[in-house]
Amino acid sequence: MAGDWAVTAEGLVKRFGERRVVDGVDLMVPAGAIYGVLGPNGAGKTTTLRMLLGIIEPDDGHRTLLGRAQPQDASDEVGYLPEERGLYPAMKAREAIAFMSALRGLDWRTGRTRAGEMLEAAGLGHAADEKIRKLSKGMAQLVQLLGSVVHLPALIVLDEPFSGLDPVNQERLERLIVAERDRGATILFSTHIMAHAQRLCDRLAVIAGGKRRFEGTVEEARALLPQQVHYVPHHPGPDIARALPADARPDGEGWRFTLPAGGIEQTLKHLIDAGHGISGLSIERPGLHEAFVRIVGADAAEAAR
Amino acid sequence: MSRLRSQTRFRRQLRQTLTIARRDFIATVFTPIFLLFLFAPLIMSSFGAIGGLGAANAADGSSDKQRMVLVMPVAEARLVRSADEQLRTTFPRDAAPPTIVVVSDAVEPRSQLERRDFDVSAVMQGPLDRPEIFYAASNRRDARYLSTLADVALRRHATGDARLSTPTIERVRVSAPSLGGRKTAAFFAVFGIFFLTLFLSGQVVGTMAEERNNKVIEVLAAAVPLESVFLGKLLGMFGVAVLFVAFWGTVISQIGQFLPADLGAQAAQLVPAVGLGWFVLLFAAYFTTAYLLLGAVFLGVGAQASTMREIQMLSLPITVVQVGMFALASAAASHPGSWIATAAELFPLSSPFAMAGHAANRPELWLHLAALAWQILWVAIFITVGARLFRRGVLQSASSKPVWRRLFG
Repeated sequence: MAGDWAVTAEGLVKRFGERRVVDGVDLMVPAGAIYGVLGPNGAGKTTTLRMLLGIIEPDDGHRTLLGRAQPQDASDEVGYLPEERGLYPAMKAREAIAFMSALRGLDWRTGRTRAGEMLEAAGLGHAADEKIRKLSKGMAQLVQLLGSVVHLPALIVLDEPFSGLDPVNQERLERLIVAERDRGATILFSTHIMAHAQRLCDRLAVIAGGKRRFEGTVEEARALLPQQVHYVPHHPGPDIARALPADARPDGEGWRFTLPAGGIEQTLKHLIDAGHGISGLSIERPGLHEAFVRIVGADAAEAAR
Repeated sequence: MSRLRSQTRFRRQLRQTLTIARRDFIATVFTPIFLLFLFAPLIMSSFGAIGGLGAANAADGSSDKQRMVLVMPVAEARLVRSADEQLRTTFPRDAAPPTIVVVSDAVEPRSQLERRDFDVSAVMQGPLDRPEIFYAASNRRDARYLSTLADVALRRHATGDARLSTPTIERVRVSAPSLGGRKTAAFFAVFGIFFLTLFLSGQVVGTMAEERNNKVIEVLAAAVPLESVFLGKLLGMFGVAVLFVAFWGTVISQIGQFLPADLGAQAAQLVPAVGLGWFVLLFAAYFTTAYLLLGAVFLGVGAQASTMREIQMLSLPITVVQVGMFALASAAASHPGSWIATAAELFPLSSPFAMAGHAANRPELWLHLAALAWQILWVAIFITVGARLFRRGVLQSASSKPVWRRLFG
């Protein structure tokens, strides 16, 4: 692998007709990290991933996958779960996983053995010899996910992996992603669900309108917004707003405002002097969702919900 | 670095191609529908046999009712009948002229053509040295036969019915191939490949639809170069075709043991110019390239279709292309060495057909190596173009239009 980067992309551009769906995206995915690509619907996440994997060619820009300029040269070391899940309905679950492993370089016998073990571990041992068409959507999705990691790839690319999964399977998938990272694999996944990204990502990129708007850690994203103070007065009164900062807004029984640049002490002194007292006080870091809204804009964030 | 990760690009693509071929072969063969496909020729020939029997009965029935009429005195008619007995033996049974009926009364000969008790094809009125012959439309052959009978009858009468020639007839087995035999072998080769590819190569057209409909194409395209996907699917379906040919080849070879010896002797006349052993090998090689060439084109075109209806609509142009190649190659087989033969041998899609005919007509072998290389080159070109069109037209995005829609839409 070139340096410590599992994936690099520089100035990736893709046009569909006159529209620039991806417009000069740069990405640097560290090896061994869980890396999230976040963005609202239509932001260009899937197109970016497909270019990285060599499914489509970029109109401009360069990318490397596990150090190779041609993504297909690294295909045996990559696992991929596409956004639009696809399996042969007439194949049995075990065969489907073995088929995907054979495409990625494992022999069929090893693929079948591993498929059986993985299905058993995932609680789907009873469905190993069931045809895909007889499985529920969630089970089929899990089979495809197992098929994308059966060959123990160095890089796992997951496009919207959580969509369509119930909460139990979402949690199971989160555990699997962490386990794969602990094994040493790099995980690159796209999502528009911030909770997963906040829990999982070592680093992330936010894409909107085909452009990369942010790149960094979750903490760095959250740090884009100032800390928020949540204050609950002991004696609320009509004149309390005069003792609070100008951006204070009611929030339940209390008030919420941005942590002043000089600290909270001066504000608290005013409140206590005015006789409002303190019933509750917390200083909170904004979540990734708030940071995402700030980065992509409220309308785009709403579209991502 | 593990063994699989150190594989060369070629070996990796070969392995991926064979993985796809294996999947397609198994998915096609291990289904109940395949049995229907395998026995389709039996069903077709059963219907053909039933239809043929019906048609033969109808034809026999009508020919049984047909007669030629002699309007002349009994003595002259006897001479004609005698000549008829002699000449009739030279006709195959199913091509013999109608039997003769004699009317010795003085009747208007043309009126005999209107008889209701049987169909009259021709009427001859004496005397034999200046006969008048009348025939109904499309029965000119019978009229000529009657005129010959009159002439032979008079000649035999003049010589006292004695045969002037006493022949000795001996059947001899000929080893040297005749020109006619070569041409017939050439036609059989062209027709054989056409028949097999007509049956088999059209199946390839819809194979990409499965991957598109099931969204599996995204998984394949990420793991495997599209050219390998296309070639793998082509080889998978070719495996199905080989299984089909092997099955029916075995069946037909067993049936062949029970055919009359005469048929075997006629088949022995079909000696191709390159010799039977080479001819069989070349036939197999050209069937392979014909299948791969047509299959690659059909696969590339079919991959652009997004619905089953579009795929079904493609079946007519596919058949037209195949019949066109057959016609071109048949013309080449009939005129070896002509410009049309050269054109058919060079044009990629007709080349396997025409070169199979060439093997029957001409003895040189080196040309076949060049032809096979030329055809394989075109298989590679068609697969590459098909894969690129698929990548640009279909994989770009869900909203992308197929080539023909972008051209004409």
